[in-house]
Amino acid sequence: MSLFAIILWLLNVTVDTLGQLTFKFAAVDADKKINNENSNNANNFAYWKKLLLRPYIWIGVAFYIAEFVVWLCFLSQVELSVGVMLGSINIVILMLLGRIFFAEVLSFWRVLGILLISIGVAVVGFGSSL
Amino acid sequence: MENSKKSAKFYIIGFLLLMSLDTFAQISFKNASAVVEPFVINVDFFVRILSNIWVYGAIAGYIGSFIIWMTLLKYAPVGASFAASHLEIVSVTIVSYYLFNEPLNNYKIIGGVLILLGVLCLAKDEEQHENNKA
Repeated sequence: MSLFAIILWLLNVTVDTLGQLTFKFAAVDADKKINNENSNNANNFAYWKKLLLRPYIWIGVAFYIAEFVVWLCFLSQVELSVGVMLGSINIVILMLLGRIFFAEVLSFWRVLGILLISIGVAVVGFGSSL
Repeated sequence: MENSKKSAKFYIIGFLLLMSLDTFAQISFKNASAVVEPFVINVDFFVRILSNIWVYGAIAGYIGSFIIWMTLLKYAPVGASFAASHLEIVSVTIVSYYLFNEPLNNYKIIGGVLILLGVLCLAKDEEQHENNKA
């Protein structure tokens, strides 16, 4: 794997993570807005309206479009099988950030999963750099 | 949360369809990636991408798998769905061997198995969350 491929890989993790976090933020934000306005019942339509009228979900969409292009560039540099395996690191980064930003719990199984995926990605990345 | 019982056949077909569409999307991405070079971000770069038919295969595959994913989540346990949605590692690796002449080696096999085991751990965790909520 070339340095250029590694940069694209890091860029992919970055935009994917930013996109996911923005979506999560958009969902939480819309939920909060609704609950502030009428606490009795937050219906589905009002939720979606809030979601689409606030800017956050569109920022998320923009990140996803960026990820689409970055992923294309990344796959032009590595084998597809290697690319898909290396892309698994996105799950790990997102879980760690979920803990920081949304106070999500890192249980025993999550920590074990994070370790296994990280080691697996490292092995595949090392193998493809030989 | 909907609790309608669905047959085993429903889940198996659903999971297979999810995996197939994810795999199709990735194959499309790989095919489309042939047009991205040279890496000069200008209008021509985006014209090259948008005029490649495989890009639309990738988009269609993503949308299709999203719809199936949401349908499965409605009925199937989230843990199993999560694991199934990441089994594409296996199918993509097998398909790439034949389609793109990507040979298997020990690094890919060992790394791939570790990643899969990791995904199964995360699926197990989701399953427990689901049970705690119920």
